[in-house]
Amino acid sequence: MDWSVILIATAKIVVIYGALLSSIPILTWAERRGAAFIQDRPGPNRVGPFGLFQPMADFVKFLWKEDPIPLNVNKLLYVMGPFLTLIPASLTIAAIPVAESAVIFGREIPLQIADLNVGILYILSIGSLGIYGILFGGWASNNKFSLLGAMRSSSQMISYEIPLALSAAGAVLVFGSFSLREMVQMQDGTVLGFLPAWGICLQPLGFLIFLVASFAETNRIPFDLPEAEAELVAGYHTEYGSMKFATFFMAEYMNMVTISALMVVLFLGGWHLPWVSDAFLLDKLGSVNGLALVQALVFLAKVGFLVCFYIWIRWTLPRFRYDQLMRLAWSNLLPLSLFNLVATAFVMYLGSLS
Amino acid sequence: MIFALVVCVGIYVLTTWLGPKKPSNVKLSTYECGVDPEGNARIPFPAKFYLIAVLFLLFDVEAVFFFPWAIIYKGSLAQGGHLFWAMLIYLAFMVLALIYVYRKDCLRMK
Repeated sequence: MDWSVILIATAKIVVIYGALLSSIPILTWAERRGAAFIQDRPGPNRVGPFGLFQPMADFVKFLWKEDPIPLNVNKLLYVMGPFLTLIPASLTIAAIPVAESAVIFGREIPLQIADLNVGILYILSIGSLGIYGILFGGWASNNKFSLLGAMRSSSQMISYEIPLALSAAGAVLVFGSFSLREMVQMQDGTVLGFLPAWGICLQPLGFLIFLVASFAETNRIPFDLPEAEAELVAGYHTEYGSMKFATFFMAEYMNMVTISALMVVLFLGGWHLPWVSDAFLLDKLGSVNGLALVQALVFLAKVGFLVCFYIWIRWTLPRFRYDQLMRLAWSNLLPLSLFNLVATAFVMYLGSLS
Repeated sequence: MIFALVVCVGIYVLTTWLGPKKPSNVKLSTYECGVDPEGNARIPFPAKFYLIAVLFLLFDVEAVFFFPWAIIYKGSLAQGGHLFWAMLIYLAFMVLALIYVYRKDCLRMK
């Protein structure tokens, strides 16, 4: 085994996973400041400039808090719950391509932890494993609120997974590939002469379905029924304290980042700038590494925009009622996503005839 | 994955090591808004949840069948559109199932 390969892989993991981890405090800060801005109040503003160090202080506080394990819980499952939500949330980022290759010491390094040829299936399947953690946590807590929250959460997540998978299948249909890297490469250039060849232009309905389903998958408002604090105290993590509680939150924010990144890859053109082709950029910048840097920045900006969109929605819309939520998934989104698939296939069929 | 595991275990160990340990009976009892917990927490819940899970299994398996079709569809168009019609027949069954489920009122939560 070549040691440099392992070294490069480790470096990629540390950088990308580190970026994901450090995005969590930034996101909690952005969430609270955004909420404060929307509700016309100052928000956290004491710790550091603009309250920027508040999440760090919170993290330290979480670490130093007592971590009680209640007497009535099923200990093994209770401890496993947060684990099983955080680990899938951390694993899914591995298949996201951040940029094209960089060349360091004459070695071409694709900026992606693992270039899987079934990337999208990997993300969908590992992502849905997170349900187990929530279900275990809620069941093991031996608490009525936790149980109800866990049941709601799991049935909501499995219901919305079908539209999510089907709208992703629409993107697979258009691009004819499972590999996320190839998908992004195909979104270079334009369609019809003026629209950027992004998934959102080829699959507008698919994008909308994916967006709505991803809100439900990450348990965000308007679909945060599992932890509807007015009804269920805190849902499935009622009995958790200290870092175990924080783990659930970290998993939520990680899922948010990963699913935004997936949305960028599938529908928003990945690392491409609209109307600017890679070849043109490479010509202007003159180096592959510069191109990779610009691409990574573009990718980050898009993900950041989507995450801000999440926060904006959270503080704008009220919560659904549970039967409305289920009706939306099964009688609106599922037929719509099937229709989207058929329509896409039909248009492609017509295109092949002419 | 190993890295993720290390981070997970790391923060667990840190918090149990650093946190104070002052357990008391009240603190360790089940949370029920400060009132003494009443009855068994594993309360019965609507069977609809179970039904939803079963339906999810069915429809998700059906959805999974779309993926291999989706990936070869683009290439198969060169040899005519037989895959499109094949999928339409399959989809008709799926829609029939959906209509059946809907008529049976399985998806109504109330």
